[in-house]
Amino acid sequence: MKLITRYNRVNLLTTVVVMLITGIIYYQAISLILISQLEKDLVVEENEIFESVSLNHRLPQVFKSNDQQITFTEAEPGSVKRRFINTIYRNYDNVKYAKRHHHHDEEEFETGRGLITSVTVGDKYYKVLIVISTVEAEDLIKIIFGITAGVILLLFVTLYVTNRLLLNRLWQPFYDLLRELRFFNITDNKDIPLEKTNIDEFEELNQAIIGMSTRVKSDYKELKTFTENASHELLTPIAVINSKLDTLIQTDSFSLKQSKLLSDLYSAVSKLTRLNQSLLLLVKIENRLLESNEHIDLKLHIQDMLIQFEEIFLDKELKVSSDLGEKELVTSTYLVDILLNNLLGNAIRHNLAGGEIRIKLTDELLVIQNTGATEALRHDEIFTRFHKSTESEGSGLGLTISRQICENLNFTLNYSYQSPYHTFTVNF
Amino acid sequence: MKILIIEDEKGLRESIEEYFMETGNICETASNYQEAMSKVSIYSYDCILLDITLPGGSGIEILKYLKKNNNSDGVLIISAKNSLDDRLEGLDLGADDYLVKPFHLSELRARVTAIIRRKTFNGNNQLVFNEINIDLLAKTAKVNDQPVKLTRKEYALLLYFLANKGKVVSKNAIAEHLWGDGMDLANNFDFIYSHIKNLRKKLLEAGSNDYIQAAYGMGYKFTS
Repeated sequence: MKLITRYNRVNLLTTVVVMLITGIIYYQAISLILISQLEKDLVVEENEIFESVSLNHRLPQVFKSNDQQITFTEAEPGSVKRRFINTIYRNYDNVKYAKRHHHHDEEEFETGRGLITSVTVGDKYYKVLIVISTVEAEDLIKIIFGITAGVILLLFVTLYVTNRLLLNRLWQPFYDLLRELRFFNITDNKDIPLEKTNIDEFEELNQAIIGMSTRVKSDYKELKTFTENASHELLTPIAVINSKLDTLIQTDSFSLKQSKLLSDLYSAVSKLTRLNQSLLLLVKIENRLLESNEHIDLKLHIQDMLIQFEEIFLDKELKVSSDLGEKELVTSTYLVDILLNNLLGNAIRHNLAGGEIRIKLTDELLVIQNTGATEALRHDEIFTRFHKSTESEGSGLGLTISRQICENLNFTLNYSYQSPYHTFTVNF
Repeated sequence: MKILIIEDEKGLRESIEEYFMETGNICETASNYQEAMSKVSIYSYDCILLDITLPGGSGIEILKYLKKNNNSDGVLIISAKNSLDDRLEGLDLGADDYLVKPFHLSELRARVTAIIRRKTFNGNNQLVFNEINIDLLAKTAKVNDQPVKLTRKEYALLLYFLANKGKVVSKNAIAEHLWGDGMDLANNFDFIYSHIKNLRKKLLEAGSNDYIQAAYGMGYKFTS
């Protein structure tokens, strides 16, 4: 759930609940006030009746008046207890009133507030019922309620819209930062820019991210420098070992066992050399030290390479088929050579005797397929450093280097397996 | 031939010196910038093996000095730096070749021989060894004036052997020389065996002596 959605949801829900509660309290308060007002009116009316009775010694004349009804009924003396009631009464009011309120019934009952009291005229005891219509009061309440509901709705919409707009605007720096983070590349020289914002939190976040990325990059750089230096420092002792071995085999005659040991030494040293050179190469590619703009006829290049590997194809009895279209690249020949060499080398190295290699070149992609082990390689692992199959004689850096080259050249390198072919695809 | 080895790493310097030391060759060494400068300013050499990173200065400065003085000494840079730029800078400044550490001594020897050959046999493109005669320009070989048809690799192999006459050359060195970067693919050395077998057969059939000998299963030797 997005922060905005969550925030909006909570915010709006709270607003609605608060509004509803306010509305109810408001309604109750107004009802109370209005009813007490009505009751005052009733008491005034009662007093008028009492005054009239004490003055005239008879029941007052009852007029049909505005929403007010007074009835006298004879009752047992002392049987009536004075009290207020909610009641319904028949309104004999004029038609105009009824029409105004869309009352279609001729005999409309209306709600009213009544006061039951008693009066004694002479020796007669009367129960007096004074009723005042509450319709007007209710109308008032309705209007008030309507306005309140309208305000709630308006507030609701306003809040929703402003939140939407404002929050989106407010969070923009955050999303910008997020995008920067997503595209953050440790090998890139591009830094995360300082976003313009006057929100302190985002400013802090931005600073923290910039600080972090700078630190990470400098650590990475240090690591690379270390790798480079270490590899460089290793070169000299390897060179010495190599030259001493070359010198050693000039000396005397060796037994079979000794020469076997020497051969193993040679192999190990040459493997060490290749490993070291691969590491150095990787660092250089990552540092983009090997870039240049040469026009390369890729088709010709691949054909040359196939000729170079011809003996190896023959030796391993590999069937090589190629479908090469025209493709020109403008980049470093050296890098392209390494890339092709690695991919083709892998296709040879991990192939079966009597296997097959298929190469396809189009304007968009280069596909190198080879037969080999009958199960797919792990996608996530094959491009990592020093990952290699147990029987592999390679350095374990070939595919890492290949992928790094592709990254530098803005190509993508992907692997897939569909029996019987392992497929590496370079998308230009 | 007269060779100056400018290399600060003692072990490597001694190995190179020993490998080149034979009758007719004079090897001198320098282990730092000052020593190297004093030697190149006084003497002249057929070939100078020049390390770039030296105590006291850069090999590049020595190279610049040599070229400024129109010194005709051949220069082979031996460097741990394997970058295109370094290589190009070295060659642009007039070095004859650039060899990246680590290398096989036989490879170094082949390169030095090629440089000296280019320097000293101006216009003469024939390389003669007993009954074997090689035309370096046409890249053909003759035995007793009879042409021998060699493949590209066999020809390269023959030149390599001739440059390393009397030395045991390891299979690894041969493989690296013939295949370069693709070498790790040819790791079982069967290729080398078949190339050498074919070369030997062709030479013998043309009436040459049997010069190529297997050396204890780890290399070959071209006896003189």
